[in-house]
Amino acid sequence: MKRLAGKVLCVDDEPGIVRSLQWLLQKQFEVFTATSGAEALELVKQHDFDVIISDQRMPGMTGVEVLREVRQLSPRTMRILLTGYSDMQAIVRSVNESEVFRFINKPWNIAELPKVVAQAITIAKTQPTDEDATDVSEEAPLVANGERILVIDDDPEMGRAVSELVGASARVSYTRNLADAVGILNSEAVSVIISETRVGSIDATRLVRLMKSKHPEIVTVMLTAESDADTITTLINQGQIYRFVPKPIRTGYLKIVLQSALRKHQALANDPALTFRHTVEATSAGTIEAFMSDVQKVAPQAEAAVADKAGGFMASLGAGFRRLFGVG
Amino acid sequence: MQFRLVRYFTLASLGMFGLVALSLIYFERQQGDFFQRTGDEQRTFFNEVQQSFAQQQEQSARRDLLTIHEAGNVNLTRLFANALWDKDFAPFVAQVQMIDARACQEIADVDDDKGKKVAPPEKKACFTDLGKRIMALPDFKAIDAKVFASMKKSTVFKIKVFDLRGVTVYSSEHAQIGEDKSTNAGWRSAAFDGVPKSELTHRGKFSAFEGVVENRDLISSYLPVLDPGSSRIVGVFEVYSDVTPFLKQIQQTSEQIRSTASANQTKLEAAAVENQAAVDATSYRQFATIGLLLALLFAALLAIVRRAEKIIQQQEADRAHTHQQLAQSEKMASLGQMVAGVAHQLNTPLAFSQNNILMVKDALQSMELPMKVAGKLSSILEDVEGDKVTLKVAQLKANLDKLQDGNVDVSMLQEMLKDVLGGIDQMSELVVHLRDFTRLDRAATTNADLNKSLHTVAYIAQTVLPKNIELVEEYGELPSVECNPSQLNQVFLNLINNAAQAIDGPGRIRIRSLADDDKVRIEIQDNGSGIPEHVLPNIFDLYYTTKPAGEGTGLGLAIARNIVTEHGGDISVSTRAGVGTTFTVTLPIRLSEPLAKAA
Repeated sequence: MKRLAGKVLCVDDEPGIVRSLQWLLQKQFEVFTATSGAEALELVKQHDFDVIISDQRMPGMTGVEVLREVRQLSPRTMRILLTGYSDMQAIVRSVNESEVFRFINKPWNIAELPKVVAQAITIAKTQPTDEDATDVSEEAPLVANGERILVIDDDPEMGRAVSELVGASARVSYTRNLADAVGILNSEAVSVIISETRVGSIDATRLVRLMKSKHPEIVTVMLTAESDADTITTLINQGQIYRFVPKPIRTGYLKIVLQSALRKHQALANDPALTFRHTVEATSAGTIEAFMSDVQKVAPQAEAAVADKAGGFMASLGAGFRRLFGVG
Repeated sequence: MQFRLVRYFTLASLGMFGLVALSLIYFERQQGDFFQRTGDEQRTFFNEVQQSFAQQQEQSARRDLLTIHEAGNVNLTRLFANALWDKDFAPFVAQVQMIDARACQEIADVDDDKGKKVAPPEKKACFTDLGKRIMALPDFKAIDAKVFASMKKSTVFKIKVFDLRGVTVYSSEHAQIGEDKSTNAGWRSAAFDGVPKSELTHRGKFSAFEGVVENRDLISSYLPVLDPGSSRIVGVFEVYSDVTPFLKQIQQTSEQIRSTASANQTKLEAAAVENQAAVDATSYRQFATIGLLLALLFAALLAIVRRAEKIIQQQEADRAHTHQQLAQSEKMASLGQMVAGVAHQLNTPLAFSQNNILMVKDALQSMELPMKVAGKLSSILEDVEGDKVTLKVAQLKANLDKLQDGNVDVSMLQEMLKDVLGGIDQMSELVVHLRDFTRLDRAATTNADLNKSLHTVAYIAQTVLPKNIELVEEYGELPSVECNPSQLNQVFLNLINNAAQAIDGPGRIRIRSLADDDKVRIEIQDNGSGIPEHVLPNIFDLYYTTKPAGEGTGLGLAIARNIVTEHGGDISVSTRAGVGTTFTVTLPIRLSEPLAKAA
């Protein structure tokens, strides 16, 4: 019976929405509905859901709170946040607290939503659950095994802060130039990328999104002072950002994020199948080309280019693009 | 209230300058008066000195004249005595001594009306009679002739001789012979003390040797006559000598001195006048200079103050402009927030309506073939007579899948469309409330049902507020209130938004209304964190905000209060930390004055 391909829970305080979602999805999936967070959590305790779709704005518990609870109760359930109201704080929390799979705006695309749900169900049914790194505290020393961490930020202080946090346990590369970043990613096996959303005048989220689409084992942490909800939404859906850290950054919080990012990477590296849980949406056409041309513009200022007077850097940059993103 | 800098400055500084000028004039005048008084005193003193000098000079000249003439008269008397006494006067005096004068002398003197002892007329007559007897003496005529002869052409106008009894033995003026001089101070001085006594007198008419003379200055000297060869006083001479020419000279000199003094005085006066004029002129120049300097100072200060006022006005205008912009941006911000809430509110019914309609559309699409088949079947059935119909099943079987797809649960489609209608109802409800909220299609000032307004605002606010904040509406019976509902909606929305911001997590906002005589009271009560004590006094202040820079304009409550005040109402707050805050808006039912047309 294809109708019973997976169990989906739809949560929204507006009955019209849950009924509508039910009608849309019930042809393919077994659909349960709840009109409040509490009701949803009761159902989660009784059933083993593959996917939960929750509205953000609800009385009582918010969507992020519901998804956070669901993550505790049922880690294998894939979490999708649904909202028509762009609330920056909700988005950041959805990333950091609930590790959502997708962020879907109302009104949804009637053709796409069932596909996203089907993909999530496939992942939930076929891929193991990644262990969650919740037992990280600020006091505990940072544990690492010589992984490489790439820090991309205009502010060198960020690179120093990360270096101080990891000490000798991991290697930290800092750059403010995206061409250098591409060079490092090409020559080293980077485990964690900590990146600002904009570096110089270039949108660095594209690098993160592209890297994640081709190398899902890399864990990405975004730093920003920006509060553009659309940028963050795109980062979640196309970049599967592990954590989102708003600036100004608190060192203790950065340490927790860094530790859990390193553990996440270990888990992903140990069991490549896990990476499917972090499958991203396809980046829009032309993104790679636009990003390449931007990076080539700043390439002459890159440290590697300055060191390599023979001009081989540009050639190797092109090769790096080919290898990393399979184009160019 | 506007501070009129230039006006206040002008008034204050002109007043001050006036005072300065007045006090300067006062002191200048005091000084001038003092100078004039001193000058006058000096001139008076100088004048007195000159006068006294001239007087002293004349007096001393007169004294000298007297002394010189007395000395001259003494010599003259000696000469006269030497020439005439032994041979002529001594025997004559001896003869006169024979005439007894005691009877006359014994007549007592009487007091005149001034209390002075004078001789009564009978005493004078007695002595006149005595004189007649003396002139009757045989030697009289000879002596008289000798005296006249020796005194001819001299400056001596008269000679008298007295015996030691004081009786006038001889006088060149015969009528005086026999007169009693015993009480005369001059005679006594000469007769008893042997000291000559002289006196300067002016006589209008005088009987002299040469006859009667007029207007003469005379020196009369009483001179003792000493017995030749001894210092025994034997008689007294009285000599009158004419000093008119000398005196004239003295008076002329005196006159000269006086005129010189007067000239000096005049010069001095002129100089004083000149000085005074010079002083006055200096004083006027000083006044003019100070006045000019004050005027310059005033002009400079006025220029500065005017410039300052221009800058202040500019700043005021800038501030007003900024305020206007901020108020606008505040309005835009709350509008933006409202639009976002409304968009979300629309989004929900829109989302499921769209979804449902698309699904119904798909369902209808899939029903197309079965409907056609059914249609065809019905037309076949129409043409058929009898019980049986023969169908070619092959074609139908080929499309069995599609036919099965079309086997849609119609009641579900009806349900979907029912939801869509419900969604449309939600959207129209929102549109109605939006229209009621803005009231752009109504008059600015109208009689409004504030409960309806409050409900609309609550509905709109609910779209923006976190869903775990409950809005409780408790409306009492209200009369219609004359107001600008659009403005009041702005106030209520602002108060509800503030209340919501005071609540962290789940909470409740109560909106109450009640009528109170000719007023209505609206309360917005939250159970949030309350307003800290140090913040409370400032909450209605313009630009005051506790939000981070860039998030709050600090205009919300200031504008709210403005609007309420313009309605003749009042807005107040009571708060308790941790318990909540209540804002109370009191409005009169009727406006006392028309509202400004501001939005």
